Amino acid sequence: MAEIKPRRSVVGILALQGAFAEHRTALEKLSLSRKLQILLVKTPEDLAQCDALIIPGGESTTIALLARLAGLSEPLKEFVKVKPVWGTCAGAILLSQAVENAKKGGQELLGGMSITIARNGWGSQVESFEAPLEVEGLRDPSSPFNGVFIRAPVILQLHPTTDDPPITVVARLAPGLLPSGLATLNASDEPRTFVALRQGLHFLTTFHPELTNDNRFHEYFVRECVLAGK
Amino acid sequence: MSTPVPTVLSAPQGTSLQSPPIPQGAGSASTPSTAPARIGATQRDGSSSLGTFGVKSGLAQMLKGGVIMDVVNAEQARIAEEAGACAVMALERVPADIRAEGGVARMSDPEMIKAIVDAVTIPVMAKVRIGHFVEAQILQAIGVDYIDESEVLTPADDEYHINKHPFKVPFVCGARDLGEALRRISEGAAMIRTKGEAGTGNVVEAVRHQRAVMSQIRQASVMSEEELYVYAKTIGAPFHLLKETARLKRLPVVNFAAGGVATPADAALMMQLGCDGVFVGSGIFHSGDPAKRARAIVQAVTHYNNYKILAEVSENLGPAMVGLTIDANLKGGNFAARGH
Repeated sequence: MAEIKPRRSVVGILALQGAFAEHRTALEKLSLSRKLQILLVKTPEDLAQCDALIIPGGESTTIALLARLAGLSEPLKEFVKVKPVWGTCAGAILLSQAVENAKKGGQELLGGMSITIARNGWGSQVESFEAPLEVEGLRDPSSPFNGVFIRAPVILQLHPTTDDPPITVVARLAPGLLPSGLATLNASDEPRTFVALRQGLHFLTTFHPELTNDNRFHEYFVRECVLAGK
Repeated sequence: MSTPVPTVLSAPQGTSLQSPPIPQGAGSASTPSTAPARIGATQRDGSSSLGTFGVKSGLAQMLKGGVIMDVVNAEQARIAEEAGACAVMALERVPADIRAEGGVARMSDPEMIKAIVDAVTIPVMAKVRIGHFVEAQILQAIGVDYIDESEVLTPADDEYHINKHPFKVPFVCGARDLGEALRRISEGAAMIRTKGEAGTGNVVEAVRHQRAVMSQIRQASVMSEEELYVYAKTIGAPFHLLKETARLKRLPVVNFAAGGVATPADAALMMQLGCDGVFVGSGIFHSGDPAKRARAIVQAVTHYNNYKILAEVSENLGPAMVGLTIDANLKGGNFAARGH
């Protein structure tokens, strides 16, 4: 007699290039992990099995090209329309509607979040940094999160239409830490200080929670975006 | 549970009196990433810190599963970017030409490197001679994203490598075995690559070096602490880094293949042997159809375990670079023997 088990949610991690193994390790450490099955996604057949997807950090141009060559571009665009997706750094760029500082000739995006983002917002690697972030909606929100920003993108603009789900800010950077030239801005609604955003089932972080031992962002994505509708 | 963030240590330039850092956070390690060591970090307005070991080794983690390609001008850099390179290495002559032409090979002209930085959006690396810390200061000043302290250039110091901790820019260094890799990490390297034998189109040395590292890690991983003390002495590795490597069962930083990779199959071979990604030097722009070969190698690194895709991308690439036999008569000599 077959035992009837509730089906576990399959969380895919796009594994074309970049720091996908780190996301797997972080998910495996969650107390929610027994409700999840984790799958590294390299082909359309892999993606078809997933209920949710994480797009990791890496090079957005490389990941987009490899997705196209693997026949994943269109399946990913369809997936993003209906399923929960979290993008970190390069993944956040791919989830954006528009990008500045793109490579010459422009670059392919998946869309999904109504924002404009700029690649390499702080400049080259010598400007990469770590800084404490103010967080909202995570477990233990009074404890700051150590944000690791590596050649990170900057969110320039939010432009949701009335039909889009509202955008919530999950983490902010102190205005003084913005790229030089912008550092004097002090408004709390300045989009450049937003470093983690949620819109409906979609979630992005311009920094790298997977490079820390703090799994609160992974827990947030699984709880709020992946398991919420179950 | 969240890990408390330790107070940032800002090391004054030229001193490193803190207990040695254990670099953390690499790759597919089963237990990566506690808060990274922070020697060399500098603070910006009291709350953020630049150039931490975490952001240095973190960039290498973002390069994993990717291909870093040697380029000598902006046009080649654009071809590499369009072919899916995750970074480019800017240099005046590729290793095959350094070998053929001889003479002293030095850091490239900063103007040429800046032209490449301006041409692409992906990270740009550049090489300095072993031990030449002023070349490294210059490259940091012009804002390259990674420095390769490389045996492919003529060494400036036959005894000392650069102390890489005080730099904000991260370094990658070559290694032939585990002891050499851990000595470089101890000096501050945030990424390791095999030395291989650059400019030969012959992968045999890269295979030898990767097999040596993996074999020694497997041996160390089953040793008792007493055995590790002796083994650290035997291979000339700092004990604390050897112990961490044994625990992780991998190097504590990202480890790429380099030196002799010429085909998609070579690249996939190095990935199946446990590398995190691949450098391709002369192999691309010394081949018949650089753009096509570059793209094929990029796909081979992603799909290194998918034999069907490997077969497809290996088809019809035109002539590969001419390979050289590695023996005592090798023109230009054995680069891998430089530095130890």
